[in-house]
Amino acid sequence: MSAGFRAVQWNRAKLVYDGILLAGVVLYIGAYLALVYWLDPPKDQPAAIDLRIRAFGTCAFFMLTVILSIGPLARLDRRFLPLLYNRRHFGVLTFFVVLLHASFMVEWYAVQNALPSLYDELTKVPDYGKFIGFPFKALGLVALLILFLMAATSHDYWLVFLTPPVWKGLHMALYVAYGLVVMHVALGVMQYDHNPFIPAMLASGFACVTVLHLVAGWRERAGDRAGARGSEGWLSVGPPLSIPDKGARIVAAPDGERIAVFRDGTQIGAFSNLCAHQHGPIGEGRIIDGCVTCPWHGYQYRLKDGCAPPPFTEKLVTYRVRVAHGVVEVDPRPLPPGTPAAIRHE
Amino acid sequence: MIVLLALVLYAAAGIAIAAAFLVFGVTRVLPEPAPVTLGARIVLFPGAVALWPYVLIRWLRSSR
Repeated sequence: MSAGFRAVQWNRAKLVYDGILLAGVVLYIGAYLALVYWLDPPKDQPAAIDLRIRAFGTCAFFMLTVILSIGPLARLDRRFLPLLYNRRHFGVLTFFVVLLHASFMVEWYAVQNALPSLYDELTKVPDYGKFIGFPFKALGLVALLILFLMAATSHDYWLVFLTPPVWKGLHMALYVAYGLVVMHVALGVMQYDHNPFIPAMLASGFACVTVLHLVAGWRERAGDRAGARGSEGWLSVGPPLSIPDKGARIVAAPDGERIAVFRDGTQIGAFSNLCAHQHGPIGEGRIIDGCVTCPWHGYQYRLKDGCAPPPFTEKLVTYRVRVAHGVVEVDPRPLPPGTPAAIRHE
Repeated sequence: MIVLLALVLYAAAGIAIAAAFLVFGVTRVLPEPAPVTLGARIVLFPGAVALWPYVLIRWLRSSR
């Protein structure tokens, strides 16, 4: 939480996460190179570099697919939440894998004294109108620039500087980068290398990301419909005991805003479902040590007023709640962040 | 060639402005004051280079 900014806020869990991540990348690339060297050793230096390009390229594609799958997976099954905890480091590592993939590509041209051909390939304007023969490296280059921008602004400082909505919007560009990478592979290596592994990898990765997002979105929409209208425009949540103790029920306001209604014993409070940190789904979190705790990165807020405990300064938008005829209702008009609005019911 | 030249100029301006911002302005633009360690300033450097026009605008606004 933001009482100050350090280079990297490592803790034991993050170190374990990063260690596993790095080991996974090293193992994948090592296994890929070893397998190909064993089956069909490269005959010259450009072929050896080409092998490295493919090893790092496929690794980056798998990493991007996993990163984009973590969000919907965690929404569908809470057991995937630990993967979400340090997703930013996953993204930064992916950028470095893509950077190495691109640098090997430049090296491939350099060892053949053909760097001007790379420049010509990227700047041949008529080729951008073709389907077969499209300068697919340009797509990869744009994806690399997007990943750089995301890695460079991944620090919490930029989150505060840019504000969470802008920061999150910027980081949604990962979907654009993924689309560009899919096109980069489909218009590039798939056109001249007919190894069935490539289209299989591309199709399964893309299908996995698409299906997971559709299913998670469908589940969320089904939940939205549960936000029934109560009296005077207030939203009916249900009897107090229908809200899990130390947990929340999420209802949707008429404008689409999701509201998380938490219960801690006899105390009930409602907040915007967006965590002040990275706009994580706070309503999917739990009350730990008396504080509402975001499932993504553990940011905590007091139930009574949505303020992070001192010395931290984050605040959530709160909503008025009441119990009418044994039913918890929430006023969908938001209060300024940090306004005390929780109630006690008997 | 023009694109490459523009990129080089953008990066050169970004390096100069990012360095000055990270030394003098990094804590001034925050909505609430918070310390930024030397390590954090180094990590923030690539982002400040990439976003330098916006960083400069925010820094100038905070100085007024």
